[in-house]
Amino acid sequence: MAIIEVKDLVKEFVVVRKKTGLGGAVKSLFWPEKEIVRGVDGLSFDIEQGDIVGYIGPNGAGKSTTIKMLTGILHPTEGEIRVCGMSPQKERKAVVRQLGVVFGQRTQLYWDLRLGETFELLKRIYRIEDKRFRETMDILNGVLRIQDFIDTPVRQLSLGQRMRGDLAAAMIHDPTVLFLDEPTIGLDADAKHAIREFILTMNRERRMTVVLTTHDLDDVELLCSQLLVVNHGKLVEDGPLDAIVNKLSPHRLLMIELNHSAALPDHDRARIIRQDGLKVWYQFDKSAITASELIADLSGKLPIRDLSVQEPDIEDAIREVYRTTA
Amino acid sequence: MNEVRHYVTVFGYYAKLAIQRQLEYPLFLVSWLLMIPTQYFTGIWMLKIIVDRFQPLSGWGFHDLAFLYGLGLLSHGLVVVFFIPTWGTEFAVLRGEFDRLLLRPMNVFFQFVTGYFNFIGLIDLIPGVVIFIYAANLVGFDWGIGNLLKLALVVIGGTLIRASLYTIIGAVAFWTKRSRNLIFMAVATMERTTMYPLTLYPQAIQAVLTFLLPIGFISFYPAEQFLDKSTSLELPLGLAIWTPVVGLIFFALAYAVFRFGLQKYESAGS
Repeated sequence: MAIIEVKDLVKEFVVVRKKTGLGGAVKSLFWPEKEIVRGVDGLSFDIEQGDIVGYIGPNGAGKSTTIKMLTGILHPTEGEIRVCGMSPQKERKAVVRQLGVVFGQRTQLYWDLRLGETFELLKRIYRIEDKRFRETMDILNGVLRIQDFIDTPVRQLSLGQRMRGDLAAAMIHDPTVLFLDEPTIGLDADAKHAIREFILTMNRERRMTVVLTTHDLDDVELLCSQLLVVNHGKLVEDGPLDAIVNKLSPHRLLMIELNHSAALPDHDRARIIRQDGLKVWYQFDKSAITASELIADLSGKLPIRDLSVQEPDIEDAIREVYRTTA
Repeated sequence: MNEVRHYVTVFGYYAKLAIQRQLEYPLFLVSWLLMIPTQYFTGIWMLKIIVDRFQPLSGWGFHDLAFLYGLGLLSHGLVVVFFIPTWGTEFAVLRGEFDRLLLRPMNVFFQFVTGYFNFIGLIDLIPGVVIFIYAANLVGFDWGIGNLLKLALVVIGGTLIRASLYTIIGAVAFWTKRSRNLIFMAVATMERTTMYPLTLYPQAIQAVLTFLLPIGFISFYPAEQFLDKSTSLELPLGLAIWTPVVGLIFFALAYAVFRFGLQKYESAGS
């Protein structure tokens, strides 16, 4: 059974169309022009336990709205949600006990107080026993190294430290599903690395399901086993990253650098798309011919000095999805 | 029982954190300590001037008025200590602060209200206590155990009535995103209507302040009884009982409105 099941999910917002100028403002006051906008428009998907799922899409695609419905913050206009077999709206308390949630743009840490105080509060809110609390803190500390700044007031933490603190706070009650809304936003390379390591460790050691939204495709590439791509509130792609990329751009490039100029042979399953001095680019379809076959075919006919195979760019592929579904 | 202990423990820790946070900014504490007592002592001074220069208000002399004012300030002080977050519902809605509360496995209203125990608000209580004791001695208040019990019930009931009104008005922000100005209006209205005898106002307003917004039960009706005046509202069992009853009913209603509003909550931002 899937740990998260979403069926025909819809969220509508009422937007009041504002008119320009004073006259418009007065008109809007008495005869507001209301418009119903679908932020999420008929989403259906399942997420299996132990997966790390990247939930991606351009700004305004409905990512945050979906996360907020899955975590019980917002009520859907239509559709069904099951998280751990329960409705996050009807059984909020039971569901949220199983969830850890981090919004990258906000913090749940007490700004004025030392970091440790927030953990102490959460210990009481989630009724965690002393022994268990210490064990969890030890584990979290091992991966996130929060001990270094646990006595520092949160307002004095760097963004990377704050994010580590927020991750630890979301994990203190040992959730089964972790929701991360843009967890690496604004972080430097080091901090990003720490956060990714943490996600992978928790996923590997505790089979924790992770759902994350991000605009950083390195996150997607390094972390996610599954992708859900949304645009305009609709699901546009669904599956493993390489399958999506293959589907969108099935071609690979073989770049060959020659010793000296020579007649370029044609090949029935690859075609020359570019030539620049002594460099030649062959484009081929991975499913029609493997790179090594192609190299073997060409090496007898060409004086090869150097070669490289280029994988398609994920960013281009994703941008292509956004563009074609816009 | 276990559940109750859980909530008490969390409340205790929330209070500890709130006190620590407020002590981080001592200058604010000092300014509040100077400002608040000044405000209330000038309030009672105004009452004295009005009565001295003009005449008793519907038969209420300065002693009676001071007693009424002091009684009202007691529940005001308690509201400021325990329910101040309701005044800021608008900000909590606009900043999406309910997201955090909804993500935790506890009652949202409880978390919202107890999440900020306003330790500094105790300063509001000082002038209330001073004025009440001063006035109680002026009117010869009977400090017997029965009367003290009645007084406690009235103060708790009054606190609930005030808290309910702020909760309902604050919750308007769930629909309109704005309620702060309404809250300030309510604070001012409540100050005025608990300070003077209700019988000063026209019948229609008296009815509104009794049945629609039961502000009359905060201090006026109980004060009438404590001062042995002919009561202007006939109810069995004496008004000391009715204030907490009205308080509980109004509080239940306020909680229902808050819950209903929370369903309309549109978490802001990303």
